[in-house]
Amino acid sequence: MKIKTNNDSNQKLVQLRQSMILAFIALIGFVIVFFSVLVMNKTDDVLKNKVSNMASALTVQMKMNINSYLSKMETTCALVFVAEEVYQYDATNADLDAYEALSTEKIISDKLFDLCIMENYVDFGIVYRNNHVVGKVSNGTIELFGEHLFTDLESMINRSRTHDGWATGYNGDFKRIYYVKRIHENAVLVTSFYTTELEEVFEHPGGMGDMTIRLLEKNDIVIYSSKDGETGTKLDEDIASRISAQTSATSMDNHYMINVNSCGDDWRVICSIPTQIILKEKKEIQLFIAIVGLLTALSAVIISVWISNRISTPVHDMVNVLDEKAHIDQLTGVLNKRSFEESADKAFHLDNSPERYALILIDVDNFKGVNDTLGHAYGDKVLAGVGNILQTVFRADDFLGRLGGDEFCVLLYLPKSATEQEITEYTSEKCRQLCQSFRNNYTGDDGKYKISASVGVALFPHHGQTFTELYQCADKALYQSKRKGKDTFTIFTEEYK
Amino acid sequence: MNRRFLLIAACTALLLTSGCSERTVITSHEEQIEISLSWWGNDQRNEYTIEAVKLFEKHHPNIKVKCNYSEWSGYQARSDVQMVSGTEADVMQINYAWIEQYSPDGTGFYDIQQLSEHVDLSNFTREELDYGMQNDSLNAIPIALNTQSVYINKTIYDSYGLEVPKTWEDYFAAAEVMRGKVYPLAMTSKSSWFFITAYAEQVSGKQFMTMEGNLNFTAEELRIMLEFYCRLVNEKVMPQVEYFERLAPEDGIYAGIVAWLSDGSSYCDRAVNNGYEYIVTDYPVDSSSQVGDGWYAKPATMYAISRNTDHPEEAAMLLNYLLNSSEMANLQRIEKGIPLSEAAQNYLNEHELLDGMQYVAFEKMNEYRDNLSVISPYFENEALIAAFRDASNAVLYGKADAQTQAEILYETFDDILRDAKA
Repeated sequence: MKIKTNNDSNQKLVQLRQSMILAFIALIGFVIVFFSVLVMNKTDDVLKNKVSNMASALTVQMKMNINSYLSKMETTCALVFVAEEVYQYDATNADLDAYEALSTEKIISDKLFDLCIMENYVDFGIVYRNNHVVGKVSNGTIELFGEHLFTDLESMINRSRTHDGWATGYNGDFKRIYYVKRIHENAVLVTSFYTTELEEVFEHPGGMGDMTIRLLEKNDIVIYSSKDGETGTKLDEDIASRISAQTSATSMDNHYMINVNSCGDDWRVICSIPTQIILKEKKEIQLFIAIVGLLTALSAVIISVWISNRISTPVHDMVNVLDEKAHIDQLTGVLNKRSFEESADKAFHLDNSPERYALILIDVDNFKGVNDTLGHAYGDKVLAGVGNILQTVFRADDFLGRLGGDEFCVLLYLPKSATEQEITEYTSEKCRQLCQSFRNNYTGDDGKYKISASVGVALFPHHGQTFTELYQCADKALYQSKRKGKDTFTIFTEEYK
Repeated sequence: MNRRFLLIAACTALLLTSGCSERTVITSHEEQIEISLSWWGNDQRNEYTIEAVKLFEKHHPNIKVKCNYSEWSGYQARSDVQMVSGTEADVMQINYAWIEQYSPDGTGFYDIQQLSEHVDLSNFTREELDYGMQNDSLNAIPIALNTQSVYINKTIYDSYGLEVPKTWEDYFAAAEVMRGKVYPLAMTSKSSWFFITAYAEQVSGKQFMTMEGNLNFTAEELRIMLEFYCRLVNEKVMPQVEYFERLAPEDGIYAGIVAWLSDGSSYCDRAVNNGYEYIVTDYPVDSSSQVGDGWYAKPATMYAISRNTDHPEEAAMLLNYLLNSSEMANLQRIEKGIPLSEAAQNYLNEHELLDGMQYVAFEKMNEYRDNLSVISPYFENEALIAAFRDASNAVLYGKADAQTQAEILYETFDDILRDAKA
């Protein structure tokens, strides 16, 4: 037996449940997105600050390293003055006894070697104004400076107080870094080291491997760079424009994070790292947060669906019970009058359905007598039995209903392909089965009272388009059955109008 | 349902609080092994060795090589300090003489035979490895053979209408013709030591010292040496060693150079580029001598491993790379002479890199190889050379006569050698 109204309620309940879950997901999603963005922004700031601080500390460390390295060389060079011969001897003095000069130079040379032997100095010697050298002055240096050895080395002295100076890039040669200190008017001490030595000076922790460390001259020429091919070139404009002439600063934008610190002889140490590298880590964190957020949302959805199920199942059951109570006649188990009428009208108007139906109206004969004679309890028992008879005789997709008292109604579904004759035959057959069932069930089994049914039939859409129209026709036909002596059925015809 | 709820609540609480728990995070880092390498040499050698070290480090990212380098002058003094103080480099470029000096019983350096798993010794003949053997311990492996060679600027000699000198007197004759405008020869203090000793050995018919470092020369032979040096300087055959200018050959101020075979290119190439023709000629002889008399050969330089190294295997890997790898062969080429390593030689042969003045000098050395004596490890002792230079200057500048200086020098040499062997 169809109870369409019950399905509608379920559908509404499912829709309500789905809406609630969707709303819950939306709420959870919003909360997670909101807090994730909040966390990511905070993480961003913390990450940037941390990296900036680390880079800053690294730059300061690099500055200290280079200062320490240069200072050590300057101190070593200052120790040369311990020997009087160093600052008293002048190789340009033509009056010197040659043998004495050689002996003095040997003393000076020994002193210089004693001071420099433990370090990787390329040069550690004294150059006189006549380009005569004592100590260790490499062929590379002699070749590089040629006949300008003394004059050009002397020109590298740029600090008036200590009479010394640092220089590199002479004639475009950045392989060596020179330190020159005046010994006296006609002599300078020159020492140098390979630029590659700075690799150790600027050695930094592996974790900052993507950072480029540079040592710059004051005109922004790169003296040393941890990146190949930059030494001797002008500082990349991208970096230079961000730090301009700053001597102690940190700059950070979408492209670079740069730290700069002054050191030594008006030089600057610059550490730079593309922001993209930092963002790479940020993206990893973002991805992690997103995954955690997604997993949380998924968990929340699963939990909410589970809780919803746990809550909705008993509600659903309860609603079903209430729904059934609202639509089903509790005594007979068929639709009550209101539900039957609604269901029938819906069926008639369903998308202008071309389906055909027979409205069968059933009235229990002599039912008043049953009640009067055998009592209302027996009468109820009889009515309940009628419900069983109807459900036995008719199919599951036919509508069965109790219109009130002992009056029942069936909306019989008829195949649309059936001919008029087939419809009449099929309907008549069902009515005969119905009357027969009444007879079988109540014809003196208990010997108390004989019960039968009078049936009237109207056909949709021939005899009416609505339940009311069809009911009136069926009622007229039923009246004919009563007139014929009850326990029979009549199909409505126009003559009964 | 209650049980399920409790379970879920517990899991949620665990999930939420897991990030808040206090825990120690330990991140392990790959440990980098640091070894050191020391060598002496000129700019060119410094540059290519540093480059080779970088390549080695790329092949072995877990190994960091710290470089110590210097020019020859000062290197031995530094090595002395380091060997005595136990701070020597893990892998060292050493001089042949140092094996006897630092490892008289063979325990002064690591026995490389124990590291043959990492050093391919099959690239060397038994005879070559014998240069580094001390008391059955392979203390060092020779890189190349070396000898003092005579490089002549034939263009200058031709311009004076002179033949390439063959005898000692030819050089004096050339000096007369050149009249002080150009020196027929020039050399460093070390090379002059070999050159003058060879003369004295030819004149006296004696070897300067035995292989064991015992002095064969008497004061008389030392006098010959002193006087010969003074004559060379006074007759302007060569400038005083103190005034030797390494770059002068390219300007044509020196018509000849006495230098190590391994230094041929560094002395001659620039002069050749300036249009001069250089040849390698025979060692000079006197009328009673044969070419090769007084002429010594030795391993140019050798690689040794510190006996104190904490990382012998890594040191051996570096040693093998420096001796046998094609990368190092390509960088080093014949800068240290013709490599003895068969692998390095094969690479140079295949790539036609065996050329230049070193190779010419190498072939000249091979021409007389049977006549060459193996040098005593004590012969190159820096103190002997410095003492000779002081004495010769005293004679040169008239501060003392040659006989007196020779007698003093004999005593000095005796003391130096006794100390060296002690």
